[in-house]
Amino acid sequence: MFAIVHSAGLVGIDPRPLRVEVHVGSAQQQALLVVGLPDTAVREARDRVKAALVSSGFKVPNRRVVVNLAPADLPKAGSAYDLPIALGMLAADRAIPTAATAVVALGELALDGGVRSTRGGLAAALVAKRLGLPCLLAPGAASEAALLPGVDIRPVTNLVEAIAIALGKIPAPEVQPMAAPVSAPVSDLSEIRGQLLARRALEVAAAGGHHLFLSGPPGAGKTMLARVLPSLLPALDDEALLEVALAWASAGYNPPGRCQPPFRSPHHTASVAALVGGGHTYLSPGELTLAHRGVLFLDELGEFPAQHLDALRQPIEEGSVSISRKGISVRFPSSVQLVAATNPCPCGFEDDRLVACSCPESGIRRYKARFSGPLLDRFDLRLKIPRLTAAELTGGPAENSQAVRARVVAARARQSERGQLNRSLSRPELDALPMTPEATSRLRASIDQFMLTGRGWDRVRRVARTIADLAGDQTVDESHVEEALVFRSSV
Amino acid sequence: MNSEAALGLAHLGLHPDRNRQLVERLGSPAAVLGAISAGSEAVSDAIRQSLASTPTEIETSLARLGAKALIRGTAGYPDHLNELPDSPPVLFVKGELPAVLAVALVGSRRATSYGRRLARRFGQAVAEVGWPVVSGLARGIDIAAHQGCLEAGGVGIGVLGSGLDRFYPAEHRPIGERLVAGGGAIVTEYPLGTTPEGWRFPPRNRIIAGLSAAVVVVEAAVTGGALITANAALSYGRAVLAVPGDIERETSRGCNLLIRDGAYPVLGVDELIEALGFVLGPPRVRPKADIPEEDPLLSALGSELRSPDWLAEHLNESPSRILAMIGRLQALGRIEFDGIVVAAIPGR
Repeated sequence: MFAIVHSAGLVGIDPRPLRVEVHVGSAQQQALLVVGLPDTAVREARDRVKAALVSSGFKVPNRRVVVNLAPADLPKAGSAYDLPIALGMLAADRAIPTAATAVVALGELALDGGVRSTRGGLAAALVAKRLGLPCLLAPGAASEAALLPGVDIRPVTNLVEAIAIALGKIPAPEVQPMAAPVSAPVSDLSEIRGQLLARRALEVAAAGGHHLFLSGPPGAGKTMLARVLPSLLPALDDEALLEVALAWASAGYNPPGRCQPPFRSPHHTASVAALVGGGHTYLSPGELTLAHRGVLFLDELGEFPAQHLDALRQPIEEGSVSISRKGISVRFPSSVQLVAATNPCPCGFEDDRLVACSCPESGIRRYKARFSGPLLDRFDLRLKIPRLTAAELTGGPAENSQAVRARVVAARARQSERGQLNRSLSRPELDALPMTPEATSRLRASIDQFMLTGRGWDRVRRVARTIADLAGDQTVDESHVEEALVFRSSV
Repeated sequence: MNSEAALGLAHLGLHPDRNRQLVERLGSPAAVLGAISAGSEAVSDAIRQSLASTPTEIETSLARLGAKALIRGTAGYPDHLNELPDSPPVLFVKGELPAVLAVALVGSRRATSYGRRLARRFGQAVAEVGWPVVSGLARGIDIAAHQGCLEAGGVGIGVLGSGLDRFYPAEHRPIGERLVAGGGAIVTEYPLGTTPEGWRFPPRNRIIAGLSAAVVVVEAAVTGGALITANAALSYGRAVLAVPGDIERETSRGCNLLIRDGAYPVLGVDELIEALGFVLGPPRVRPKADIPEEDPLLSALGSELRSPDWLAEHLNESPSRILAMIGRLQALGRIEFDGIVVAAIPGR
């Protein structure tokens, strides 16, 4: 008279096990009660489940049925628990063997008994792996779940088939590999001609994970440079891929391409919630989390409202963002590499070689004030990107992303021996890293010459460390510092 | 007595043209002061209040700033200004005005990075051969010329459109102070406390022209102060030179028009110095740079502008190596790099 079916939910990007407990009670009254803090969609599940049972040739138990979704404090939303509720009701009513409930099930039921895909396929797979149970999912969700190796994923298309497959009476069909997502607009480095400085800056940024700031007139190719960066980053390993997939799943998206780090480019009109995450009862991650383990590109940085940029600062530093609403707090990961692009002034031509700027001076000051300050401090690499003339745009065949990525991977391996990306080296850690006396004195001389602040000094050291890693050197020498000084151009 | 009256009148900060017309009409600065205090010449309340300052008070407040007033017709006032029809009756000076004529490097505030780079190199070159550089301490061409002059350790003069205690833009004050510390001066005809208002700048430009043997217009649109300076120089019989530019570019039109009307076209640093030599006398020999021949990048660069890509190909070095070389020479102050082209800074 009692049955339990396992299912799963996502809190932030944490998959949580969920138990669907069904009790079929006395025959005195016929009722179907769903408890456990469900939202409207779960309550609607009652009617869908009843209809699906009838359509599939079963009887709705003529008794008092109580369905409890436990734990009660786990926020639940959507229609994903129709399938486990139906399985539990049938098993508790003795209409099917109890063995059919030894699964993790997730899916919405159509009124004709079909099973539809919902969010959370990957979460269900993780829970199934933990419990060592097979996992029943609609084909779409099954494709998502298949990202996790070593789990018995069984795609099911309707309730009757689901029961047969759960009992092992018929074999589950093959899991269809996930449809390739709309390809992220990523370019290859070989598409960039000339621009030695910018190309090298991308390589250094990729190797050390440094945030990159690009300033230049319209049409200089800032966006193109930003789109190249993901192609230079190391491919995501299994663990990273899973994090990315969970982050995207929590927003209701299919995960991005299999191995390439994500690239997100939110528009400057996006709300704070769209950037860092938010929402009401169901908390959704923002662009920061969708760019987790990848690149967050803020084009036209000067157009983003100041409070939006402020909201980004702490999550970027900490690698995660906490959102609290009405008694629930969720932590989304946000370990992103930031690329920001901006015009140097409202008209864009302040630094141009050929076109004079037409902005009033006060306008330039106000514009620069927007993206100066604490956020700008986080950018180790700052570059002016000039417009090139036609002659400068033609050049021989350039190195492609793959060749550079190999050097980036090697440089990252040296960093992981030290335990962290150079981007996050703090001042004491920088002090402890080996540097030749010549390199130190060159740095000291540059403090006066370029009016480097303490933070500016740290930035040069972090970049110099990455340049040494790219060169395969244990100790930062003079030439590494000299190259790093080129990337210090004040904006 | 007359010079005290001139100082008192200058202290009012009237428009220079009005100042001159009043003195011509009423006969003397003292008569003008009398007419203003009697109320027969209407002035604003702020100017009326300035009437109360005595010459001693004015000189004391100037001295507190380390400045002094030079009065036309008295000792210390530059000879080459004395002879001009509209020279300022009083010059407020902080620092030392050189006894010889200077070279004016002027141009737009809204300049391209090309114009600013040229202004800086010209400023360096002129200073290196020992000629003073004069300009207006404004944004764009002016400040680049002053910087170039300072980098070469030259004598520079900044002519302000405000009082000696006000700078426009305010962030150029340190450059102004360095001009004074470097043996040059900042000068103005406006009294202490005068704020930089738009109408004060065009008259200021005739002082720049008056202090120079030649005015070099580096980059200028058709409208703008640089052409006022060039016209003043022409009316004083001083030389005018201009840097030619694209005929389609707004910021070159002023220069190109000047060349059409007879200004000497400047086609390079060496030619500029040679041309200036005709009006200023033979230049001192420019010191040769001390390491260029030994440094492969500097010798590949020569006096051209080259991209890092060109240098990498030419010297057959890796991007990383080329950027390190650029970083080193930049830190040594030997080259300029704006993110696209590298230019050698002539040795000091």
